[in-house]
This record gives sequence, C-alpha cells and structure tokens, in this order.
Amino acid sequence: MRSAGDDLISVAVSGPSAAQGLAESLRRSSRWIDVVAGIDSVVVRFDAAIIDRAQAETRLEGELEETPARRAVPKQTIVVPVAYGGENGPDLEQVCQQLGLSQQEFIGLHTGEYTVDMLGFIPGFAYIGGLDERLNVDRLAEPRQFVAAGSVGIAGGRSGLYSLPGPGGWPLIGRTSCRLFDASAPDPFVLSAGMTVVFEAVESL
Amino acid sequence: MTVSVIKPGLQTTIQSAARTGMRHLGVPASGPADALSMALANRLVGNLATASALETTLTGVSLKFEVDTGIAITGAPARCAVNNDAIEQHTTIVVRSGDVLTVGAAEHGARTYVAIAGGLNADETLGSSSTYMTAGLGGHCGRALLEGDVLSFQELGSDLEQLATPDEFRLPILDSWSVRACHSVETASLSDPSQLFDTRMTVSNRSDRMGIRLDGQRLSTDIGGQMPSAPVFPGIVQCPADGHPFILSVDSGTTGGYPRIAKVARADLHIIGQLRPGNSFALLRRTDEQAAKELREKHAYWRSWLPDVASVI
Repeated sequence: MRSAGDDLISVAVSGPSAAQGLAESLRRSSRWIDVVAGIDSVVVRFDAAIIDRAQAETRLEGELEETPARRAVPKQTIVVPVAYGGENGPDLEQVCQQLGLSQQEFIGLHTGEYTVDMLGFIPGFAYIGGLDERLNVDRLAEPRQFVAAGSVGIAGGRSGLYSLPGPGGWPLIGRTSCRLFDASAPDPFVLSAGMTVVFEAVESL
Repeated sequence: MTVSVIKPGLQTTIQSAARTGMRHLGVPASGPADALSMALANRLVGNLATASALETTLTGVSLKFEVDTGIAITGAPARCAVNNDAIEQHTTIVVRSGDVLTVGAAEHGARTYVAIAGGLNADETLGSSSTYMTAGLGGHCGRALLEGDVLSFQELGSDLEQLATPDEFRLPILDSWSVRACHSVETASLSDPSQLFDTRMTVSNRSDRMGIRLDGQRLSTDIGGQMPSAPVFPGIVQCPADGHPFILSVDSGTTGGYPRIAKVARADLHIIGQLRPGNSFALLRRTDEQAAKELREKHAYWRSWLPDVASVI
C-alpha cells in the first residue's frame, strides 16, 4: 500500500485480472469515492476531510483480507477491423524500423485474438494485453495533442484502442472504424474487461 | 425562461457537479475547472454550490435574456456590462427581459463563471450535467456553446436576495500562483525532486480542461516509456520522457502510463482552473497529513460563507 497523493491510496497487485477483481470488490463496499484499476495496481480515493489517512489505510487493509468475489468474465468476442499504416497509423513506419520488421511482418504479428485487460483513460478506451514480445515499444516521449477516434496504438506490450478523439501518448499503428463508445446507447461501452477482441487487417476504413 | 447566446467566446460550457464513480470506465470528473469560483457565483443567486452555470475560457461570452432574472459573475476578472452599463463581479445583478450581458476577456486568470438564479437546465448523462466535450456528455448537447444556442433555466421561486461576496472570500486572481502538493507513487523516481517542488515554473500554452503543461527545468526520472498504465486523478502531475511535467485537470483521462511525480492537494485543486499561459507557478511541498489538516482548515474558513464548500473543494 502506498500513497498516491493527499487523498489517494495505491495497492499493488499481480496483474490486470487481479486488479479488476479487487477493484470490483472495493467498489461494492461503497466506502470509497472512486476505485480505479490500473494494469498492476488499484487506487482508491477517500474523503480526506472526513477520515484520516491512517483510518483509511486500516479500512482498506481489512477489505483486502476479504476474499474478492470471482469475476464473471464476459464471453463476447468482437472483431475489430484495422487499417494499418499510412495516415491511419502514422507511427507504423517508425515503429517497424525500430523493431526491425517489415510492415507485413508487423501486421502478421499484430492481427489475431486478444483479451481486453481493462477500460480507462477516456470513456471506452480499451487496454488489450498479450502482444507478441517482438512488438514491444515505448510511449512517445512527447504525447500528441490530437489523436483521431478509432486509432490503434501500441506501448509497453499492449494495444490501446482510442475510443474518442483527444490527446494521446501511444505510437499509432492503425485505425478502426469500430465505434467504441456511444453516449446515446443504454450501455455506452462496447468493450469491457475480459472480452475477446480479434484484430483483422483491412485495406481501408 | 430562456437566455440566448449572442457571442459564445472561445469555449463556454455548462458545468455542474463532477462525475464520480465512473472513472474505472474511463469517464473523467469534468465539472468546473475552478469549482470554488463557480460556487461563489451560485451562492450570490441562491443556488447550491454545484448548480449548473456557465464557464467561459479567456475570451468571455455575450448573452441575451428573454426574461427577468438574477445573475452573478465570479472567477477571472473581466470587464462586464449589462447593455452598456458596467457591472461588478461578486454581486447579485438583476437583469430584465431583453438585456444583453457581455463578459469581456479575462484580464488575469483563465475562467469566468456566470450563474443564473435557479440554475441552467442541462442534459444529464452518466450522472452529471457537466459538459465533457470529448465524449459529448452533459451540458448543452455535450459541447461548447455556439452562437444562437438557446438555454433554459428554472423559474425563480421567490424574490432574490441582493448579495455581495464579502471581501475576505473574493479569491485573488493574479499572474503568479503557488499551490500545495504532495508526493505521488513515482515521486521517488525523480532524479532531483527540488527541480519540481518549491521552484518556479511557467504555465505553457498547452493548457486546457484536460491538463496544463509546465515549462521549467527539464525533469528526468528513472522510469522508461513502458510503465504499466496506472490510475490518475485531477491534480496528479505526470512526467513524460520529454521532461516537461503536466498537471491533470478536470477532464483528464483516468489512467495513464507516465510517472506520477506529484499530486496537487485537494484543497488547492480549484486554482488549476485559473492557470493562464505565461503565469508563474510553483508546487509547495506538503506531507499527506499536512495537506489533510490544511483541507479541514480551508473548509472551516469558507463554511461561514459557503455552507456546502465541501462539495467543491
């Protein structure tokens, strides 16, 4: 357990599925203003005007000891068509150069079946784990101010699906026409943690 | 009960309470970037601190009222007028049907707030009527106001009390800021924390409701570009590999993979909304315990004028 700020406590966990499970069980207790999972941590926000950090930590420790309920993993599979490179994936060339791969080799390694690790960042943005080890690149040193909706990035062994336009820090390798967030739908989130995603290469969107 | 938009300004949005409890789905807080100033405007027209009101950005706004009502203006100082008569900020103003309110460009700070008695009607999505433009949530059609937009508001239930913000509660909005901040999870990764805390930096022109990039000494951390994405909140200061830290504001994402090197204390988060490109800025280092104590002191100070201050800071 570590402090993440004056009203934040971070708990380290083993990975995305442990983080999702712990976050869900902490949310159920309704004791925290926000409970957010990361890839290998969960952060809770408490009301620092009402409870002391020490009390909050004791409370959290107690909750960590309770066995988290097993997550119901969604069985759905969603096919995500991706147009790789060019203006759809402006960093693909640079990424391939860095990785010593041709664009065709890259696409061959990137297409296929994956699991959604988590949602986060912006509404509907999906973190998708399990990238081939040969596709491991860093985030951009300077984040972009504008990334188009549907953009597909990679960083740190994961793919990221940009559900909405906005700033972003992942090298962009392609783009999909899949709509990943629809505010007017009863459930605006198309993807959720645990779902299966299949990347398929297409020529154009 | 309507008001129409004559000049929308650079970015004028309806803001209300923050969205909470949905960050795990990537839904940010939104709400006013300077929640304390908006609460002060609402206070002067008898509204709750988080009632829907307008937030302008740098350039102001111009509105025509189609009915008599009460308004109040707070936040970034700007020349304001009803028709051609200058009006003051921080007082309850009665406007008549047909009156045109003009809020000029911010002279200092970044955001001026206009509250209307009864509160504006706004679209409520995902639990709040605050505008989040990126996803088109809340506010007026989920976007910044455009010329010709017509907004409606609640009818005034009773006579409006004429109020003015007492001097001791008028937030000074100048060009140099110091905010209190604590360590965050990756602060220890900084090669030299004294380059971040208790030192002067400059607010860059990359500043919006998502975040504010700071110019100063280039920072370095011992974390590369592959940190596993981790939860972030408004007030968190992140440091990408280019060494220019940025402070997350109300519309910031909910997870991110740049090192979290500080967090602006909850008590001073409202100040982030007034940072203007070129302003001088410093983070004053506090322990978590000091920050909590100062938060309680700030609440105690403000409560005599804003009974619901804890809902905004």
